[in-house]
Amino acid sequence: MQAIQSQLIAVREYLSPVLKESKFKEHGRITPEEFVAAGDFLVYKFPVWTWEKGDATKTRDFLPVDKQYLVTRGVPCLRRATSLAYTDADEDAERLLSFADSGTSGADGDEWVETHAGRAASSKFGGADGGEIAEIPDIDGPGDDEDVGVRGMRAGVGALGLGAGKEPEIIDLDDIPDMEEDDLEDGEDEATAAPKAKSTPPAASKLVSPAAASSPEPAKGNLLQVRTYDVMITYDKYYQTPRVWLIGYDENGTPLTPTQIFQDISADHAHKTVTIEPFIHSASLQAASVHPCKHASVMKKVIERMNNSVVAEQLARKSPPGGASSSAAKDTKEKEKKKWPFSRKASGSGKEAVAAAASAGGEDEDVEGMRVDFYLVVFLKFIASIVPTIEVDSTTSF
Amino acid sequence: MPIVQFAPLSSLVQPALWHKLSDLKIDVLKLSDAAVPIHGSYTAGRSVKDRESGQEISLPCNLTVGADSFEDNYTPTHGSVSAVGTLKNFNTIEEFKAADKTALFNHEAQTVWDDIIKTRSTAQLNRFLLITFADLKKYKYYYWFAFPAFVSKPAWDIEDKGWQHATEEFDSEKLSAIHAQLRGQSPPLPHFLIREGASGNVEIAPVEQYDTFYASSPPDKQTIAFLDPSADPSNPGWPLRNLLAYLRALYPETTSKLRVLRWRDTEVPASPNIPWKSQIGTLTVGASTVDPASARPSAVGWEKNPQGKLGPRVADLAPMMDPTRLAAQAV
Repeated sequence: MQAIQSQLIAVREYLSPVLKESKFKEHGRITPEEFVAAGDFLVYKFPVWTWEKGDATKTRDFLPVDKQYLVTRGVPCLRRATSLAYTDADEDAERLLSFADSGTSGADGDEWVETHAGRAASSKFGGADGGEIAEIPDIDGPGDDEDVGVRGMRAGVGALGLGAGKEPEIIDLDDIPDMEEDDLEDGEDEATAAPKAKSTPPAASKLVSPAAASSPEPAKGNLLQVRTYDVMITYDKYYQTPRVWLIGYDENGTPLTPTQIFQDISADHAHKTVTIEPFIHSASLQAASVHPCKHASVMKKVIERMNNSVVAEQLARKSPPGGASSSAAKDTKEKEKKKWPFSRKASGSGKEAVAAAASAGGEDEDVEGMRVDFYLVVFLKFIASIVPTIEVDSTTSF
Repeated sequence: MPIVQFAPLSSLVQPALWHKLSDLKIDVLKLSDAAVPIHGSYTAGRSVKDRESGQEISLPCNLTVGADSFEDNYTPTHGSVSAVGTLKNFNTIEEFKAADKTALFNHEAQTVWDDIIKTRSTAQLNRFLLITFADLKKYKYYYWFAFPAFVSKPAWDIEDKGWQHATEEFDSEKLSAIHAQLRGQSPPLPHFLIREGASGNVEIAPVEQYDTFYASSPPDKQTIAFLDPSADPSNPGWPLRNLLAYLRALYPETTSKLRVLRWRDTEVPASPNIPWKSQIGTLTVGASTVDPASARPSAVGWEKNPQGKLGPRVADLAPMMDPTRLAAQAV
């Protein structure tokens, strides 16, 4: 089924013409040349991004051979997006954001709702609130016949990084060949640093749900499960927009399963706009991908706003250095909300990216509006809203 | 004085490598279990600030192998340096289990040591070993990495003040100069020497030039530097071990006290508010009980599995490779 679909898409893409004229301000779409230009700018500005050739048999002839797609590796992801799950209790934290500058505020009713404003880690886990999580199909686990509540709880536990939720998803422990060979090395090497038990983040104490309390390894629950992602940006010829692909690893470097990847995607998008598909520049690799069908319209909206509101740009340029703590972030957010709709993530890194971006493109702003070089920087802000816990946007924080 | 403890490398295998290994196994290796050269890379240790708790969280110090690891003209991505290694793929799980791992490991360690003594080259210092068994039908890959590192007897000690910010010894101008000179190196240097001139300028050179580069430089103007994959403030990364072993073996007279720079700034900080990440410390070692140039020191470095035991890891790619599973996912 999926094979047929992929074939169809390939044919459709083959038939659709390469976009020739620049349309990025009108439609939010870009030409391959503009994709390369924007990519060059991104690589220049944020060297964590690099161009890749990809598989030689999959080369797209409308892109330079050595600039087929962009990649950044090892993007950290500290928490699961499911921990940002939205409930009624968060309603107080909502905040209306307007793209327009203060003069025309709300004139066309185009505000965005910012949720989770200035809020610390969520404590909403466990059976009662597990409804959202339980929608993730448990494709292989023995849990298929369990009731929704228990499964939700399990998924919640898994998201917390507890041992208990892991086994059905990652590996069958029986499958590991029984070969511990402690005699390989003579005794402990005093100069080898032992893996450290990381100190408990303050938020973690709040996270202990009934399920966690009954876990066999409570100590492990306090570890922050840092996943890393390889993020790829390709050019989608049919939709004429960039497209994002994700390959994830857990803290041990084990590749994540699709189910686990969906934990890092905001609930609105998992399984709807994010799917697992063959990566177009590899013969066999599968990756999670954000479907690009809505990219153009969203990008158009963002670009229009950026382009028109020179005032907002100037404000953004004056953006103060980010506060680290969440309370400080709350303060700065007040000032900031008019300037940059996606910067709720920004306690530091995001804002610097904005500031860097703004200063870089600033001189030309008055003359010709936003330049297309900027497209991918803006695009990353947009992607950051779909994968809220993957720090795709923290390009300057390393 | 506290003993220096080194943060071990941990392997990060991109799924693309397993795809390549499957192709290699089917098309080239077939039933051969001969050793295959492989390349990996590591980059400066990174840390990320947790937005919610404000803590600085170090990411694991990874040695990455990926799709292009089998290519002869392997070039590491920007900001990372390459490491050479050996991959040995076994045909059955029984062979994988029964393999004489001590012999394999010692062979690799001996290769590194011979290279130090005979060629005085640093090219093999970051050598690694990877043994695998690919269960192609089930899309499961059993693997075990080893990163041989020589054990120093007695161990290295660090001065009581420990690892400090590099800016304690070098101002930003000097660090920028180091960064600029590093950038000019191709291929990028995994470790290098720093010399401060009388006029306050800094110069770098490959480690092979130790005796000539430092010939007329007083010891307090000398600094050994390496690209540090560890972001842990108190534990330098694994590659330093073999670098120290190299220096002790070849230059035993002058290397009992070394100033070491843990280089982590692959990018110049974007603004003056952002600190340099590199750290500096002074290491000392007592007189060795054996002649360091003659006998090969013992080596350690098998990677532990996620359970913290010495044992292989398994990558189960069935959810990402098995056509039937993918079909179910796509509905």
